[in-house]
Amino acid sequence: MRFETFVALRYLAASRRRAHVALIATISVAGLAIGVAALVVSLALLSGFQDRIRRQMMERGAHLRVSPERGAALPDPEAARRALARAPGVQGIEASIEGRAWASDVDGTTTLPVRFRNWDEPAPPGAMDGARISTGVAARLHVAAGDLMRLSSTRTRLSPIGPVPISVVLPVLQSRRAGMLDKSAEVEVSVDTARTLSGVGSGALALEARLADPRTAESAARIVRAALPPGYRVETWRDRNAPLAFALRLEKVVIFVTVALVVVVAALNVVSNIALTVVDKKRDLGVFTSMGAAPSSLQRVYLTLGAAIGLIGTTAGLVLGIGLSIAADRFELVPLPSDVYLMTHVPFAVHPGEVAAVAVFAFATALLAAVLPARAAARLAPGEAIRLSR
Amino acid sequence: MLAVKAEDLSKTYTGEAAPVRVFSNLSFELPAGEFAAVMGPSGVGKSTLLHLLGGIDRSDSGRVEILGRSLDQMTPKDRARFRNESIGFVFQFHHLLPEFTAAENVAFPDRIAGVGAREALQRAGTLLERVGLGDRRDHGARALSGGEQQRVAIARALARSPKLLLADEPTGNLDAASAASVFDLLRELHAEREMTTVLVTHNPDLANRCDKIFTMTREGIAAGKGLSERG
Repeated sequence: MRFETFVALRYLAASRRRAHVALIATISVAGLAIGVAALVVSLALLSGFQDRIRRQMMERGAHLRVSPERGAALPDPEAARRALARAPGVQGIEASIEGRAWASDVDGTTTLPVRFRNWDEPAPPGAMDGARISTGVAARLHVAAGDLMRLSSTRTRLSPIGPVPISVVLPVLQSRRAGMLDKSAEVEVSVDTARTLSGVGSGALALEARLADPRTAESAARIVRAALPPGYRVETWRDRNAPLAFALRLEKVVIFVTVALVVVVAALNVVSNIALTVVDKKRDLGVFTSMGAAPSSLQRVYLTLGAAIGLIGTTAGLVLGIGLSIAADRFELVPLPSDVYLMTHVPFAVHPGEVAAVAVFAFATALLAAVLPARAAARLAPGEAIRLSR
Repeated sequence: MLAVKAEDLSKTYTGEAAPVRVFSNLSFELPAGEFAAVMGPSGVGKSTLLHLLGGIDRSDSGRVEILGRSLDQMTPKDRARFRNESIGFVFQFHHLLPEFTAAENVAFPDRIAGVGAREALQRAGTLLERVGLGDRRDHGARALSGGEQQRVAIARALARSPKLLLADEPTGNLDAASAASVFDLLRELHAEREMTTVLVTHNPDLANRCDKIFTMTREGIAAGKGLSERG
């Protein structure tokens, strides 16, 4: 062990015997630990929610989507299908037909605009045609599974009495609770109904594919792009959710910066602690100098002291924060009304990368806090320190 | 060869109150191997002179050469290394560090020089044996008597086998018997290790047992005991 480390650790160990220094040291370590724990718990909470959202993105939506760069329909749906089929891990390719319509009960008492699209999986043979609607739409139309509803397209067809809206009456098959990401398709219908409503008789507005491993979407998209002529847009589930992903990342950064202020305030206690030790050990500085310690060596003693406080506080905070997060998730300590939040408890997810970032930040802050008093220690006049300590 | 050569040293302490001039144009020389006493009234600057000679304080003007090397031309880092290798300090109030054992205190100069902990402690143990405290190596500084603390401080000053020992009233805080014992030890070690020793003391009996006596006054420093010295 180096001389500087040896002295710093002994000072830290001995500080508990001096009440005033021990108090400040305890406050420094505790403050840092609380700040680190708060950071870990905050990030775990956000990660818990974000992991759920990401999982929904991967589970519910398509992972790859090929759409025309211009126009409403794909110029060559078969070419697009072949290109998608070439990507590794493709499990199913579906045509996407979607549009806007007016939804109402059969009496037309209540009407509201909705987005419709065909459901992803093909309907089983002989299955009844119908609509799956979100609970929000069901509530506003006052319909439930088995009731009839009307969907009127914004498109019209010519009739002997002139243009009339294209309209279908469908039984409600299911009213499902909309997930966090289901903001567009409030009504899902069969491909045929979707074609009728949208006027896309053949082909598709876009083709969508699901992958065995959604995390490979980027590389799969590159292969599909390479296989397609110009005029097609290839998007991954990440591209399509980029604004949301950005918002989630931003949210995490903002929370990190805000909660990190606790660590910064705790670091001020580290400054006080080390400054107090410098004053308390002024004579020792002079004595060390008389023995041949260089100013830089004295500076390192106090930097090591800061590092030791940082290490203890950070470690304690990490243990506390990770323990709290795991316990809160495993034992569902923070319940949520499931009818509102679609989950029974607040999820917490501890990500090693984030824990490492918190640890590095807290340790570096503590070390930085030690720089000022350590420099003061190095600048101390040793002769004066000895002379005045008689 | 001169072990100590100080020329035209001036020192003024500037604090919150008015500046205090300690001395000006003070010159001092000491050949290698001498055991010299510096006497004088309190406040005349004896400790300050030792601090300047040891390079732990800087003079306002003048030059200090120790063992042929100019302290003024060294960088702080070089000066620290030179002090570690060539100069030992003993203070009136021993200034042992209370958080550490006697052996750890003695091992510090070696540790500062980069010697490993085990070797430094081994050497410290040998030195403590030499000053008669082999059985107290693991005792904290506070557990030792005044005389023992000063012996540990002497052992610490000798840890790097310095060529110059600067002792600032090492017996000033001890009873007569302990003072005599500590002084005897210093003389023995001085002879054994072929050092040059500068001892500040108020005790004329001890001073008379030194090779030279320098007397400091407000006007300067004068050599006694039949030795010529610039004042």
